[in-house]
Amino acid sequence: MTLSADKFREQAEKIESEIGKVIVGQNEVVRHVLVSILAGGHVLLEGVPGLGKTMLIRTLGEVLDLKFSRIQFTPDLMPADILGTEILTDSDGHREFRFRQGPLFANLVLADEINRATPKTQSALLEAMQESSVTVAQQTYHLDEPFFVMATQNPLEMEGTYPLPEAQLDRFFFKVNVNLPNVTEMVEIMERTTGKETPSANKAVSGKEILQMRELARGVPIASHVKDFVARLVLATHPEDGSASLLTKKYVRYGVSPRGGQALVLGAKVTALLSGRYNVSFEDIKAIAPAALRHRLLLNFDGLADGVKTDDVINELVSSLAVQV
Amino acid sequence: MRGLIIGLGLSLTLGGIGLYRARLLQNEFLALVILLSLAFLFIFGLTAYFWRIQPIKAARHFDRLFHLEERVSTALELNQHPEHIPTEILDRQLEDAVATVRAVKPRQDFPLRLQMREGMYALLFIALISLVWFRGETWFKAAQQARNVQHAVEAQAAQIEELIKQIEANEALTEEQKQALTKPLKEAQASLENNPSLENSVSTLTGTKEELQALSDPQAQQMSEALQQTGSDLAEQTDGPLQSIGENLAQGDTVNAASELANIDTSELSPEEQQQLADQLNQMAESLQSTNPQLANELNQAADALNNGDTEAAQQALDNAAQSMAQAGQQIASAQAANQAVSQLQQGADQVLAAGGGQPQANQSGQGQGANQGNQTDGTGGSGSGSGSEAGIGQNGNEAGSDPIAQNNGPGDGGESAYEQIYAPQLLGGDGGEQVNLPSSDQPGGDVIGEGPTTPGDPNASTVPYNEVYSQYEQINNQAIESGDVPPQFFQIIKDYFDSLKP
Repeated sequence: MTLSADKFREQAEKIESEIGKVIVGQNEVVRHVLVSILAGGHVLLEGVPGLGKTMLIRTLGEVLDLKFSRIQFTPDLMPADILGTEILTDSDGHREFRFRQGPLFANLVLADEINRATPKTQSALLEAMQESSVTVAQQTYHLDEPFFVMATQNPLEMEGTYPLPEAQLDRFFFKVNVNLPNVTEMVEIMERTTGKETPSANKAVSGKEILQMRELARGVPIASHVKDFVARLVLATHPEDGSASLLTKKYVRYGVSPRGGQALVLGAKVTALLSGRYNVSFEDIKAIAPAALRHRLLLNFDGLADGVKTDDVINELVSSLAVQV
Repeated sequence: MRGLIIGLGLSLTLGGIGLYRARLLQNEFLALVILLSLAFLFIFGLTAYFWRIQPIKAARHFDRLFHLEERVSTALELNQHPEHIPTEILDRQLEDAVATVRAVKPRQDFPLRLQMREGMYALLFIALISLVWFRGETWFKAAQQARNVQHAVEAQAAQIEELIKQIEANEALTEEQKQALTKPLKEAQASLENNPSLENSVSTLTGTKEELQALSDPQAQQMSEALQQTGSDLAEQTDGPLQSIGENLAQGDTVNAASELANIDTSELSPEEQQQLADQLNQMAESLQSTNPQLANELNQAADALNNGDTEAAQQALDNAAQSMAQAGQQIASAQAANQAVSQLQQGADQVLAAGGGQPQANQSGQGQGANQGNQTDGTGGSGSGSGSEAGIGQNGNEAGSDPIAQNNGPGDGGESAYEQIYAPQLLGGDGGEQVNLPSSDQPGGDVIGEGPTTPGDPNASTVPYNEVYSQYEQINNQAIESGDVPPQFFQIIKDYFDSLKP
């Protein structure tokens, strides 16, 4: 390991600083995206149009010295359009099929409005997101590390969209909700974007450094009782579990998978390092719990009908679950 | 604080039980509170001090208490299992944990503070204890009375034990007499030890007293006095053949007197001495005729035999007289022992009653017989000398001076005091209402409520003997006292009332 903990924080702050040159406010969103990247996870950004989701990821692509590609998901988008396809080539009179890489072959992939593509196309991302590889015509191609998928979706315009299946959702490390900026931030946004000069970000870290930061973050220790808390929290999201709260039993159809627990621990480790600490605390867990669990918690009909938010269920569980000493 | 709360609560509970059962004095209550509070404080302190705490649990507790964000517990776990953790992270984590812990200010972050709820509990208990201490005078007084009764009953049990020993050591009594006298005393002793309550104790002592009174020969005192008087007369006759016997009789030593009487050898007496002896025997017989006719008769027979010169018959009669005198001596000794026991039992009952808050029985039934003192009392003395035989001289009407009922309307006071005026409404509905008083039936036009044959008793005649009525009433009273229906503080009043009615 060549990267120190101080360097980790320094580089992380640098990334946030560079992003902050373009993105106004949205500190929590930026922090969660950064945590996800440093933990090696994919991010699903959800928010109404115009909040800067795409801009954030594009800026991230600028800040990180990585190969960036953008895929605009549309209903007619096919898997081959993403993954790539074999084409017949003629070279010196010799014809052969050669694989032509799709836009997925990049380090940072922006899957814009991912829910507009069909499930067939959405599912083309499954292997890439989980195993960082693509299989076409019985040939597996490994993607370069680091590999991140940054997807966006619009929660309002549901007509003509295809909600992501649970298996697809579960592969996203975080689901980050992008909310409206406040007045100050709104003024700043207008100030920056309506002048002669368009703000831009500089390269901050390379892909290699990202991998080093990821490796360092995985080495952060976590105490056994904190791990126990995470495990009990994950199990408590299942309505059939004995420790489930009344809210969970009433409104939750299916709880968080073990991937949720992994995301909590990894995200908390990164959060601890970003906080200048070398161990995971309960506060780290609580800080990222909604982003790590909200898309893995499926509400039942009653929950949907009553307008219950998954964040409410998660926050209630986090606050009510006793810390065993 | 929790130890103090438990100590206070426990002491309050135990103290409450003790007070409810009237067994805890005020000082004992205070001692109980202080001792239990300090004891539990000490026990909880020791327990907390020696309680074995696992380091990892302590570390987690400190993390939460001082907001250390799991630094200490993680460092502790890493120290035990450092595998798979990069060295740099280990070192930095430990440095971070140590630096953070050093910044902790226990006095500032964890000041010694009392929890409001625990403080409230402690104050509540202290307030309740103070309430009991300052306002529980009635309970403490009752406990003091109960304690006094207990001591008095124990003292009476010990006194009865002493009485039994005295009776068993009395050589003047036969074995049958000893057994008859000690049997009720032993039963009373057992009863006092088994149930030392005020009611049972008084009832036991009173009942035993009555049993012993029944064993006492009412004529014994008179017989004793007659024998003593006769002895004194004989002792004054110097050079008489019965002078020595008279001296013994005057001293109350009837047994020795009987022995000397039996030892007189009439055959060795001169005719003059026989004549002198016959005269003295006649004198004795005359003195004892009213109290011991059998002895008097045998003495007369001996005197007649001596006058007739029949020494053999005289000797036989003297032997018979000596035997009768010895029996009389035994009767007297038994009666004296019984009377002594009766006196002490009465005194004991008074002491138990006084210990229980009742008035001691200052006056007994009229003129009692102070048999143990050998002189008649006038009934106005203390309870020790006033206890006498109920079948003896009896009431002679001087109980009025003792004010037995203290209501100024007892029989001894003539019952002439005015009764309290009873409110008798005459107007229906208060002032201005309808007149509701009925006209007297013996007036013309009066309402006749009922008519029928009446059987008025003969004037100045009673159809039921007074003794029978009195005994029935007294029996019912005793049953009520024994069954605990009568509060102890009314014992004296009831007793005085029945004493004033005693025939």
